[in-house]
Amino acid sequence: MSSLETSRLVLRNDLAELKRLAGWIEGLTRQDVSSDVSFAIAFCLEEAVANVIMYGAPTGDHLEIAVELERDAGALVARVEDNGRQFDPTRAPPPEQPASLAEAKVGNLGIHLVRSFAHDMGYERRDGRNRLTLRFLEARS
Amino acid sequence: MRGPCGPQDPGESMDIAVEELAGGVTKINLQGRFDTTGAVVVELPFNKVVTEKTRVIVDLSGVSFLASYAIRVLLVGAKIVGGKGGRLVILCPDNNVAKVLKTAKMDALIPIHQTESAATAALGS
Repeated sequence: MSSLETSRLVLRNDLAELKRLAGWIEGLTRQDVSSDVSFAIAFCLEEAVANVIMYGAPTGDHLEIAVELERDAGALVARVEDNGRQFDPTRAPPPEQPASLAEAKVGNLGIHLVRSFAHDMGYERRDGRNRLTLRFLEARS
Repeated sequence: MRGPCGPQDPGESMDIAVEELAGGVTKINLQGRFDTTGAVVVELPFNKVVTEKTRVIVDLSGVSFLASYAIRVLLVGAKIVGGKGGRLVILCPDNNVAKVLKTAKMDALIPIHQTESAATAALGS
């Protein structure tokens, strides 16, 4: 993807849309993005969008999820904007490491993993919409 | 980037196949993108196997992607098998898949092995 181009994809809150998201990311990052960064973007956007699809509309309302990806000053910047219920992932506490398999709790790993794979994560609630911004630094050659 | 165990042709959909090995070991072969939709597809058949078996190898060599929902499926499976006194181990994850497992610290809960013989040995007798 070129340095000035911003690509945008609009999805519905349907799990089947995740295949479309994966194909869109692969198409944008296949050419000139390292495999590590490409994987990190695919992973984080899958988690962020899946989270909105599964938990953003508890009463089954239709949601619009807009995903943008652009290159900005040595980084790839991804944004996920949705009109689902308010959720700030930056305030989620880190998961506790269990002492054993029997004590391990199931779930709550996605946000922690996104935080690990993205260089930084920002959130704002504006005009009734969640807006998540993720930055991925490109490796210097 | 693919490791020595990495998938050659991950494909789009998620497949699950169950193989019985010698010594009462069951190998679950997963193939494809173990993303959220893939995890939803394999969750029920995967749970059926882990409910019935006590020595389980989950072969991830054909898996190209791992979402947190997929980790949930693996963790629930390991807990079900462990709850019966059995063991579940992971075999040969792709580099990116291994990175996700390690970042989630799953390798501390579910042993990861690079060869089938090591995975089988880790299950004990």
